[in-house]
Amino acid sequence: MDTILKVEKLIKYYGGKGSVTKAVNGVSFEVPAGEFTGIMGASGSGKTTILNCISTIDTVTSGHIFIEGTDITRMKANELSKFRRTKLGFIFQDFNLLDTLTAYENIALALAILKKPAAVIDSRVKEVAGELAITDILQKYPYQMSGGQKQRVAAARAIASKPSIVLADEPTGALDSKSAAALLQSMDTLNSELKATIIMVTHDAFTASYCRRILFIKDGVIFDEIKREGQSRKDFFEQIIGVQTMLGGANSDVL
Amino acid sequence: MFYKLAFKNVRKSFRDYTVYFLTLMFAVCIFYLFNSLGAQSAMINLSKSQARSIQSLSRLIGYISVFVAVILGFLAVYANNFLMKRRKKELGVYMVLGMKKRSISNIIITETFSIGIVSLAAGLAAGVFASQGLSAVTASLFKANLKPFRFVFSSDALLKTVVYFGIIFLVIMFFNTVSVSRLKIINLLGASRQNEKFRVSRTGFAAAAFIISVACLATAYTFIIQSNFDFTDKRFLGSIILGSIGTLLFFMSLSGFALKIAQSHKKFYLKNLNMFVIRQINSKVNTNFVSMSVICIMLLITIGTLSTGIGVSNALSSNLESSAPYDISLQKDATQGGGDIVGGIQKGKNGIMNFAGDYAQNSRYDTDITYGQLIPGFTQYGDSFLNSTVPAMSVSDYNSTAALLGRQKISLGENEFTLVCNIDSIIPSFEDFCKSGGTVSFAGKKLTAYAGTSESSMKLSLSNSGSSTNAGVLVVPDSLLKGLKPVYVVLNINYGHGVTDEEFTSMLSSAYPDDAEKPYDISYSKEEVRDDAATSTVFSSYVALYIGLVFLIAGAAVLALQQLSEAADNTVRYGLLRKLGADGKMVNRALLAQIAVYFLLPLALAAVHSAVGIYAVNKIITLAGHLNVLTNTLATAGIFVAVYGAYFAATYFGAKNMI
Repeated sequence: MDTILKVEKLIKYYGGKGSVTKAVNGVSFEVPAGEFTGIMGASGSGKTTILNCISTIDTVTSGHIFIEGTDITRMKANELSKFRRTKLGFIFQDFNLLDTLTAYENIALALAILKKPAAVIDSRVKEVAGELAITDILQKYPYQMSGGQKQRVAAARAIASKPSIVLADEPTGALDSKSAAALLQSMDTLNSELKATIIMVTHDAFTASYCRRILFIKDGVIFDEIKREGQSRKDFFEQIIGVQTMLGGANSDVL
Repeated sequence: MFYKLAFKNVRKSFRDYTVYFLTLMFAVCIFYLFNSLGAQSAMINLSKSQARSIQSLSRLIGYISVFVAVILGFLAVYANNFLMKRRKKELGVYMVLGMKKRSISNIIITETFSIGIVSLAAGLAAGVFASQGLSAVTASLFKANLKPFRFVFSSDALLKTVVYFGIIFLVIMFFNTVSVSRLKIINLLGASRQNEKFRVSRTGFAAAAFIISVACLATAYTFIIQSNFDFTDKRFLGSIILGSIGTLLFFMSLSGFALKIAQSHKKFYLKNLNMFVIRQINSKVNTNFVSMSVICIMLLITIGTLSTGIGVSNALSSNLESSAPYDISLQKDATQGGGDIVGGIQKGKNGIMNFAGDYAQNSRYDTDITYGQLIPGFTQYGDSFLNSTVPAMSVSDYNSTAALLGRQKISLGENEFTLVCNIDSIIPSFEDFCKSGGTVSFAGKKLTAYAGTSESSMKLSLSNSGSSTNAGVLVVPDSLLKGLKPVYVVLNINYGHGVTDEEFTSMLSSAYPDDAEKPYDISYSKEEVRDDAATSTVFSSYVALYIGLVFLIAGAAVLALQQLSEAADNTVRYGLLRKLGADGKMVNRALLAQIAVYFLLPLALAAVHSAVGIYAVNKIITLAGHLNVLTNTLATAGIFVAVYGAYFAATYFGAKNMI
């Protein structure tokens, strides 16, 4: 399969003059098209920083990130926003839906920014709403929805523009276990049936068990990498727990 | 320690405070400027009567200032509440750290106090400098000369400003202390996460309310035009009430209604960030429709006072040359006898008439002819005008008055009449009446119109007056008036060579120390007319400017604060747009559109209101002269662009910095 994302010796330092924080210290990996990749690690391990660099929200200190062969670390501000709206889809921990807009409009906004014609927007919104089973809440406002519904609307918004990569940052972080399972099931469907490439950052083993491959990050470097490869989700979950135990110390929140 | 914290807070949040600070400063500046008018007159060579009118103007400004201070007080409290809301989280952190409420109060009081001192000082400084310029404006309005420049400073105005604003700041401190004592930690820390309350109004309701509001406004407009701006007319009150209700309903329903219309035009709604901008405005207008209505009415008052206030005086003073052509006019109500002013003065043997150069007396007699019989088609001034009777005068009085002005005499046949009038808007109707062979019956005789009647023969002022007030006098042959008693007599005098107005009027007043002995009731010299016109210009312009400016900054400041206060929410929203890939240009354009629409909405409705209002007022003012609508509109627009535009720009750039 084609490589859709290639991260090369990514380094990101914060601060300067005596107090340098090495958030990411030389990370390299590749993601082929259609894969569901998880990035795990404790708070402060650097996983969100990696995601922010890939999503062009943050800049790198050194190293390169190629998406579909293009080096995004060399892009200018205008190219970046164009790149973001055409190639990337985002799902955030706290949903980040606009509270003044209905579900329909939240999804449509992502397409309107792409300057798609109105007819295309309308049909596409209805299409993704069907895929994520949110058709009946399209006219509701975020404050009228449950957390799980909000996150599915956010997921619909992320995939509406058919991006090359969907980036999810702790998507189940603010959900109860039932909503979380439903969301993850939807993401699984997106990946397996619609062939969406997904990169998800999480510190929760249950959430991570839906991925095909998991990169473990500790103190800014890749500590381990495991693949599901035909295991049942339960076995994969056990394996993840095993790696986390090895990671030790800081992961007391899962143990 | 706490004081250090307070000062650091003020310095740190200076950007948030900019609009608040500028508004206070501006308010202080205006307050000082207008209250120092009395002291400023020290720089101008004023006549005694002018000096007196400046004194009464400062008294009037003093009364208005109390009202203005109340408005500014409300504004300051409102603005301060907004700032307090933004800082809930910060205050919550203080409380979590264990700070006593008393100490928190002290911090807030210190902050309010220091902002108050700085804005007061800056505003006073600006006011003192601006007042030097204002005296030049006053001088030119009075057509008086400036004395050699010296720096004028009014300690009275200073004291008054400090006291009034001191009270305002005390009130703010009181409110802040109360609100701090009611704080609860849980509300404070969660303040930023609290959801905005949404009022989802049903479309049917919004549409109905919108239609009712339009109907209310239409009725109010009709009423105000019909009532001729007569405060005693019931329709005037009705129009005010209906207008207010209509305005409120308009803003209540507008956003819901407009949203539905926009949503049904998918091509527009789903283009770029349109839907985001419309939703932003919709939610803002929905929550703030009451204050938007109030702002709209305040802007209406501003436009109204500025355009007509400056305007009335223009109308009155523009045609002084034709409405007060004589050096002096002596006028007498002759219904109780004494129909000869010249004879009365000469009888006193005081030699006053020797100082008069040329003079001419004219007498007016009652008739039972009404204006309605002559010009029934002239409805501009309503029925009361058409039902009033036309006075008559003799052709020889007409000729002597015309001679005094160096105008052509006329010779009237035994069965002829003509008319005099100096109100431009009526003359064409009289002309039509005469040209179409109009007749009148007077003293049992049928008179036909004098063939030489023309606009130039008719337009004649029979006495000095501040504005054109002669709505029409019938000129008839002398023989027809024989034996009748005049009801009103005027003696117009042009002074003899080298005689000044002051000399002549002082002669008159020393010759007749007792009013009862005067052979005339009132005298009105050209100088007095000019002074009066200048005084009314100064009065109406300054009062209009004062009230107009205060309402303008109050309205603009509230709009600005409402936009800036939700910067925290907007930071998240616009940040999200960026993450979704909207580029900088797109985001900035959306922000600009949001703020521009928010600023323009109340202004647009206020402009429509005032256009109707000015139309109604204009109808009345044309009685006295022409209101120069263009100049006043331009002047008003200039002031609006400067003040409103400044607030708009400050809001846009402030908001842009925050997102």
